[in-house]
Amino acid sequence: MANTNLIKDKYKIDIIKYRYFWLTFTGIILIPCIVAIIYLMVTQPNHAPLKLGIDFTGGTILQYDVDKKATTGDIANIRQSLEKIGVKNPVIQTTAINGTNEENKEAVNHLLSIRTTFLGDKESAQKVEEITNTVSNSFNKTELVAVNSVGPTLGSELLKNTMAALILAFILMVVYISFRFRFEYGWIALLTLFHDAIIVLGVFAIKGIFQDTTVDSLFITAILTVIGYSINDTIVVFDRIRENMRFLAKKYSSDEIINASINQTIARSINTSLTTLFTLFALYFFGGSTIKDFVLAIIIGVIAGTYSSIFVAGVILAIVKENMEKKNKKNA
Amino acid sequence: MKNKLILFWLIIALTLGSIYVIYKKKTSLGLDLVGGSRLLLEAQTSEAVPKITPEIMDSLQYAIENRVNAMGVGETIVQKIGTKRLLVEIPNITDTKKAKEFIGQTAQLEFKRPVTLFDGSQGWESTGLTGKDLKKALVGSTPSTGEWMVELEFNLQGAQKFSNLTKELTGKQMAIFFNGKLQSAPRVNEQISGGHAQITGGEGGFEYEEAKEMVDLLNAGALPVGAEIIQEESVGPTLGQDSINKSKIAGLVGIGAVMLFMIIYYRALGVISCLALLIYTLINFAIYKLVPVTLTLTGIAGFILSIGMAIDANILIFERTKEELRMGRSLFTAINSGFDRAFTSIFDSNVSTIMTCLILYCLGASMVKGFALTLIIGVCLSMFSAITVTKNFMHLAFGTSELKYPQLFGLKKEEIENAYKAQETKREKAKFGVLD
Repeated sequence: MANTNLIKDKYKIDIIKYRYFWLTFTGIILIPCIVAIIYLMVTQPNHAPLKLGIDFTGGTILQYDVDKKATTGDIANIRQSLEKIGVKNPVIQTTAINGTNEENKEAVNHLLSIRTTFLGDKESAQKVEEITNTVSNSFNKTELVAVNSVGPTLGSELLKNTMAALILAFILMVVYISFRFRFEYGWIALLTLFHDAIIVLGVFAIKGIFQDTTVDSLFITAILTVIGYSINDTIVVFDRIRENMRFLAKKYSSDEIINASINQTIARSINTSLTTLFTLFALYFFGGSTIKDFVLAIIIGVIAGTYSSIFVAGVILAIVKENMEKKNKKNA
Repeated sequence: MKNKLILFWLIIALTLGSIYVIYKKKTSLGLDLVGGSRLLLEAQTSEAVPKITPEIMDSLQYAIENRVNAMGVGETIVQKIGTKRLLVEIPNITDTKKAKEFIGQTAQLEFKRPVTLFDGSQGWESTGLTGKDLKKALVGSTPSTGEWMVELEFNLQGAQKFSNLTKELTGKQMAIFFNGKLQSAPRVNEQISGGHAQITGGEGGFEYEEAKEMVDLLNAGALPVGAEIIQEESVGPTLGQDSINKSKIAGLVGIGAVMLFMIIYYRALGVISCLALLIYTLINFAIYKLVPVTLTLTGIAGFILSIGMAIDANILIFERTKEELRMGRSLFTAINSGFDRAFTSIFDSNVSTIMTCLILYCLGASMVKGFALTLIIGVCLSMFSAITVTKNFMHLAFGTSELKYPQLFGLKKEEIENAYKAQETKREKAKFGVLD
């Protein structure tokens, strides 16, 4: 039995009264994301919404542990010498590593990564050695610490698989929510998931445009994790709305019930996300340097998910329910 | 109450068992943490072998296994992926140049007889005597010049073939091809029986390494088909160690921050959830060692993330319990209905997380798999931890007593008092969970 006293005159957050404000606000956040995605789709030859990494395009990334941060001059030098030995269009990036410890010789302090075409097969094994020699001219210490190669056929296969996985995840979520709740809850949950995914995609599209950040299969993992996790908050809110509807639907309008339900659950929505964010931020600031972007994508997704469960799911459900009530009245 | 105590001791026993397992068993760490190389090979079809059959894959796997073992670098893994791929994991190496050369060679050994082609030039023709007919190969040196050479010993069938071949070719040349390259073409002086042959390195002779590699390859067996490397992930030991150190710090900071938050926000309940979280972490880690789950960098990220998610169930339960208390329920009822009512949300949320993780797991790539697996284990275990451990501790800590100090739960005294007034429920009634 639900507590009737929880329907109040005043709420901590009145999402129903200010529903158009929240919808506009959501739109304002989404616009730059969508613009960035479309910009990349139009300008990129492969029409991908993001800058794709070697996992999808095929290619090789060599990562070197070097003794100092490479200057733009160093990078230009390395690029020139690489082109001389026949490496076409290498992408050279320095990765800032958190917790830099100059004293500790054991720790990896500065990473220099070089992205080239696929050098995985046995014919190009020699090439890797040549590149390493070229890079070592610019630094006192150069250690090849990681090699990632993906053949071009495997790349396009991975891209196909991950796309299929994403679509499957979306469908499963809608089916599950529709099955556990009602159909309108299902597609509203899907909208919030789209919202979360677009924000994560958008941020990485913007990062791609300005910082040349590429996405790999770990990024898709992040998106799937976000889909699986951010639906949790939406479920908590919907669960409460459903419970309150069952007991209070006769006495109160759906607007009031939704408002009350969101206010009842807002503390737990925020707290559950906060604890998850604590661990994510710990991973971001202190964790392994090679998974930073992966963690960042999940962080953005979790924040977007919490926001959308409160301000998108609730608002849209209220509008939908209102229309349904109007229809019922007309029919009656 | 008796049942609750039994459960309590069971939980304690499970925890101690986990500590024992953690202490006794080694953690199995992925190549991205200890350093090493992962290669994905794809069998290549050719005119001779237009279709890759399971039998071909078996012999390819066998030959590759023998080859990587011959490198002598510790525990290597060769496993089949799908219908035409092999995954090769080699620890402790970053420079894969050698490995690639070693793995990529088909190692076809063939004895050929001379034949006059249509245009009159001389060519070579297969005789049916190949590397398959070998018993073993050895590195030897010629007694006269001391040059390195490869000694071959044929099996019974091979010896017979070789004997016939040398009889047929007496006075002529016989060619030995390795990987399609002519190694030497000695003149056959007489029929050779006994099943022994030598390959000398032609004019310059073999380098020792050259002879050794050929011997290793011959002993490992020829590849039935060519194999191309289509993916490589190699991580050096320094980066691996760096990742381990950083993950440890991140894990401790993450758990610490979560615990601090829970204690500040939920007070006594928070302390209970912290104990439950500790037990969860220990059991979780013990499961990794028992299964065993190979921990990769992303796997550890999944583990740390699952800690943040595991506490979610506790938060949902506590919030619900507080709500029930505000409504004037007795402590015992509030705790029970807190669990019952929160359960549907917890269940639905976890099912959705598990569903996406299963998709991830089936997607295949090793980095992704590690993450998905640890997250699935974490989420499943968190349900157990919240529903069994937290509930048991709460019952034992608060029993059926009345809520004397609402502050312990992060509630204000007035909130509770108001509830009784608003509901006009008598305390005695509330104790039994009856509300007007």
